[in-house]
Amino acid sequence: MSNKRERKPARDDLSFTKELSPLHLIELDACTQCGECLKYCPVQDVTGNPLISPPEKIRVFREFIKATEGLKARLFGPGAIDRRLLEDFSKALYECTTCGACGQHCAVGIFTQRLWPMLRKEMVRRGLGPIGPQAELPKVIADTGNPYNKPAEERFAPWFPEHVKVSERADIAYYAGCTGAYEATPMVKGDAVVLGAIGEPFTMLPPAEEVCCGFPLFITGQHDMLEDLTRRLVESYKARGVRTLLCSCPCCVNIMSRDWPVFYGKELPFKIRHITQFVEDAMKSGKLRIRKELRERLIYHDPCYLSRGVGIMEEPRAILRGIPGAELLEFDRNRLKSRCCGAGGAARKVFHDNAIAMGRLTIDEAVDKGADRLILSCPACYAKVNEAMQGYDRQIRITDIMELLGDLVEKQGL
Amino acid sequence: MGMLLVIIAYLVYTAFWVRISLHTLIWLKSARRLISYRPVSGVTPLSAFGGSVLDLLFFRRLFESNKVLWLGSWAFHVSFLFVILRHLKYFLNPVPGCISCVQPLGIVAGYILTFSLLYVVAVRLTARTKYVSYQNYFVLGLLFFIGASGLTMRNFFKPDLIDVKNFVMGIIAFRPSALPGNFFFVLHFSLALLLIPYIPFHIFTAPFITIEARRRQQGLDLVMHDE
Repeated sequence: MSNKRERKPARDDLSFTKELSPLHLIELDACTQCGECLKYCPVQDVTGNPLISPPEKIRVFREFIKATEGLKARLFGPGAIDRRLLEDFSKALYECTTCGACGQHCAVGIFTQRLWPMLRKEMVRRGLGPIGPQAELPKVIADTGNPYNKPAEERFAPWFPEHVKVSERADIAYYAGCTGAYEATPMVKGDAVVLGAIGEPFTMLPPAEEVCCGFPLFITGQHDMLEDLTRRLVESYKARGVRTLLCSCPCCVNIMSRDWPVFYGKELPFKIRHITQFVEDAMKSGKLRIRKELRERLIYHDPCYLSRGVGIMEEPRAILRGIPGAELLEFDRNRLKSRCCGAGGAARKVFHDNAIAMGRLTIDEAVDKGADRLILSCPACYAKVNEAMQGYDRQIRITDIMELLGDLVEKQGL
Repeated sequence: MGMLLVIIAYLVYTAFWVRISLHTLIWLKSARRLISYRPVSGVTPLSAFGGSVLDLLFFRRLFESNKVLWLGSWAFHVSFLFVILRHLKYFLNPVPGCISCVQPLGIVAGYILTFSLLYVVAVRLTARTKYVSYQNYFVLGLLFFIGASGLTMRNFFKPDLIDVKNFVMGIIAFRPSALPGNFFFVLHFSLALLLIPYIPFHIFTAPFITIEARRRQQGLDLVMHDE
């Protein structure tokens, strides 16, 4: 009896399907291996390696399932899987930017933006993921509250404008997010300036309380702390009477709107809004007027987790069109079909060269289109594309949408 | 030879259902676990199904992605359906009227099926697709030879259809009868048996995922926007 008890978990531990829902499993079965998605994969654009392509990852994962839960495995016991194969698979999984372009263009419609992180979770369970510095994330976030190992005192102080007033309690709250606060400060400064210009009272958590939203952990498959982080943040905002939580980071917005209710265990006590939604409403209602002219051709890059992730595509464009004199250009692949700039999926932390090469493809197209300025709306894109332009012969001015708006607001005077 | 093929047919048939059962078992096992994403609210499966009719009937997603490949792929799948319907006359007694009606279309579909396979392979080879699935090529080749042997029987070496029907019905009724003495029939039947274990599982699951994709797409606007 006791032997049976000991054996059962061991058998279950061998399963590759432990972290997957039935939908994920059916998706794995549904891949036709047509390879059409490779045409849209940004990692393929820069590596050209089909062995790390979406259909190959699905094929290999199916083999893992077959080896552990197929007929032969059930009759004669699970077959041993070569450690090297598992490591190569894990590497391929983490080299992906999880942008979801493969799924968007999939002939069947597999939701890969969600499938890849769940496969990563399985690799974490097996001790094969994450890779490199990604593995430090849980400890770093537990120690400092952010994935950048920076002190909480530096979260807001270096960039938050002195003239912008933050209320103790308000219906509206603003979450700056770790990447914006530490890596893309012009963006979050722009957020604060614009919120100040709109004039509606808003609150923020103190820097030590505004911890990571959980996205870097979620995307690398390290889910252990997610419930705790979510609960801490949700309860803190709830205590301040918040009804609407604003954020400009697509990754934060994605996990807040899609996953926080799951980790919190029920509907959130407030609405999640991307900052461009709030700003567009303010422009429509006249609370924010942009009078300052900007005679430039702007090209807007859709962040993967904002467009394909939560469907915010028209609000940023409406804001840019609302700037007097500005002309809006489009990338060939835009909105739901946009191409990843290389910053996604935490892959940039390990596969740096890939990320730089992808960023340069975005720069190339923006320059070829004749844009004066490349407009981004994501702190990760902002940090990486700026880095990609260093030492590159093709140059374009890179500005975050809220940074641009904040500049115009400051120039025209409140 | 006849008895050997009959035994293989039973084995293949059993293996097919074991395969389906194993997949279902794995799905059911995972159904007990937490689904760690928030289902999109406001879009019912029914409304998504309504919206995905074109996706399913005309492979709209593939059409948007690759029109040249779509032509061959769609022609193949539609003709395959009609060929299956035509072949039901060998499995049913009496033959329903609708199956009799579909026979002429089934014959045309047999030609389309075989040539669409050649077309698909030609498109894949000339496009120098980066990703090569050897199993897909194997299945395409197998289907081509099944189609070609069927057309050969239709045009050049006709088997005795009464013998064919008796043989097939004998298998279904567990009362095996003599194997028709036509080489191309034996080849055709053997290749069909060989195909069954290699039937790609996406045939059964892809339609559900296409409907789910439509549901997700319809619900995307509701993630951050009020209705």
